[in-house]
Amino acid sequence: MKAEKKPIVSCKGITKVFGKDELAVHALRSIDLDIIEGDFATLAGPSGSGKTTLLNMIGALDHPTSGQVLIDGQPLSGMSKSQLSDLRLNKIGFIFQAYNLVPVLSARENVEFVLRLLKVEANERRTRADAALAEVGLRGLENRRPSALSGGQQQRVAIARALVARPRIVLADEPTANLDSTTTGELVDLMYRLNQESGTTFLIGTHDPRVMEHSKRHIEMTDGQIESDIRA
Amino acid sequence: MLAALAWRNIWRQPVRSVLSLIGLAFSSLLLVFMLSFQLGVYDTIKIGALGLFDGFGQFQPVGYDDDPDISKILPGWQALLAADRVEGVSATAPRASSFAILASGDTSFGAAVIGVDPAREPAVSTLYTTIAEGRYLAADDDAAIVMGAGLARNLGLVLGDSVTMLGTGNDGAVAADVLQLVGIFSTGVNAIDRQITQMPLARFQETYNMGTGVNVVALRGPDFGGVIRAAPQLRAMAADQGATYLRWDDLQPEVRQMISLDLSTAMLMYGIMIVVVVFILLNTLYMSVLERTREFGGLMAIGMRPRQIGAMIWLELIFLSLLGAGIGIALGAGVTIWIENIGIAFPGMEDVLSQWGISGRVYPDLSWLSALAGPGVIVGSIVALGLIPYRHILRLEPVSAMGAA
Repeated sequence: MKAEKKPIVSCKGITKVFGKDELAVHALRSIDLDIIEGDFATLAGPSGSGKTTLLNMIGALDHPTSGQVLIDGQPLSGMSKSQLSDLRLNKIGFIFQAYNLVPVLSARENVEFVLRLLKVEANERRTRADAALAEVGLRGLENRRPSALSGGQQQRVAIARALVARPRIVLADEPTANLDSTTTGELVDLMYRLNQESGTTFLIGTHDPRVMEHSKRHIEMTDGQIESDIRA
Repeated sequence: MLAALAWRNIWRQPVRSVLSLIGLAFSSLLLVFMLSFQLGVYDTIKIGALGLFDGFGQFQPVGYDDDPDISKILPGWQALLAADRVEGVSATAPRASSFAILASGDTSFGAAVIGVDPAREPAVSTLYTTIAEGRYLAADDDAAIVMGAGLARNLGLVLGDSVTMLGTGNDGAVAADVLQLVGIFSTGVNAIDRQITQMPLARFQETYNMGTGVNVVALRGPDFGGVIRAAPQLRAMAADQGATYLRWDDLQPEVRQMISLDLSTAMLMYGIMIVVVVFILLNTLYMSVLERTREFGGLMAIGMRPRQIGAMIWLELIFLSLLGAGIGIALGAGVTIWIENIGIAFPGMEDVLSQWGISGRVYPDLSWLSALAGPGVIVGSIVALGLIPYRHILRLEPVSAMGAA
């Protein structure tokens, strides 16, 4: 009998309210959600449905108003800023819509940056960064700065950066929103391949149907609540 | 990693950074030059005022400075002449002095009469260089006297004339002598030109019945700093003989007060300049921090601690200020060295300057202090105020930072 996989992320009754009294906006309403190792899950829903807010909670970037988020069984509540930084560094990879690369660093240096924060030794750092860039199809462009790369190439650097530290989960918030359809297709294929080959867990906030096509698990949100959670 | 990142960040906005550097460098240049110039002027004043007559320091009997009585003989003065072997001191000269009535025909004036060793005195005092008529005292002179142009004029004397001197000797008896005027000096300092005379020490001791005693031993060094640094050793020498040692500021406290007053006024100006420069630079950097808030949010998201981001910004500030100050120091030192060679003239101010013993040009004096003090304060202030953007970054939350415009 196959052993049941433990959840990497567990959300237990999390709510998030912005503002107070009559100006209060309920961005998340009592969300319960587990993300299991190896998931390639998409989080969809109209604008304002709470996708980004939920990703921020799971990514330890924001605190829920109530409820609890656990990463590998470890509750985030009560952690200091530094502990949350370390948790993000060690366990979570991020891919943003706006890439968020450091403009003064080359593609290789951007990828290496996470490894530097992890105090990985220089030779290993370079080997791993180059391997990650090769993995995302950027061999030969290692020394280019973000301004010398196309949007798709920058997002590939961001994916390499998100993966190079071998995180437990990669959170992507609208990663294809700024890309053309060809590049979007290539990137979705890339993330899916990485999930298939290395088992990296992905949770992707999107409303791009091409991303959802590859999804093994599709979570639909409306008005801060999970409306459906379907495994393919 | 942070240092490399900080350095590259400085050059993200090259125009802004270059403008900041120009501001920093120019203010540092000004501070280096102005402080060097000021210290140079002070040195010129000190050398002019003290080198002309008093010397850079003096051994005196205890209490002589407050009550310069001829009967106060300097104990162990022969031993104190050996102070010219102390590092920083180049020459020593014994002196005895009193006041006397000088008379020529029906005219008489009070004056200070100083007995000097003609062989040693020129190495301590520059008075001999101001001889306008005749010559200075020579080693084989006996009944000779030199005096200031104002006093000679008042007495109606010309070179070769005899002058009668009437004073009170060491033993309280009348000290009288007739001396021949061999030289007239014109220092430009009225107090000296109207009141000071010099005669050979041996003749003075004989006339004033002093035996072999003297009242002071004046000394000089190749530069002021050397004599100031030698002060502890000179004080110890004086104490060994039961005498006292007076530094330049004891000999001419009015010079010290004038310098202190001028320096405090200048410091106020420098302070204002430094505050303006520091806040302009800090404002520029703070703007840059606000512009990059979104980027900082992204860095926090990938696991960089706020403290590390704050340190990176602080390093940017340190690099920028060190670079600007470094350029400013180099340029300031260059300009100062150049002007050290050619000097600066102040046409029309000769009379005012001559009162302080300054004639002709004024030269700045570049030193470690003048080169580093002003720029050092700028860098230090900038580094200290870097706490403001640092604290701003510590308070950032990743989500709100990433959402910043």
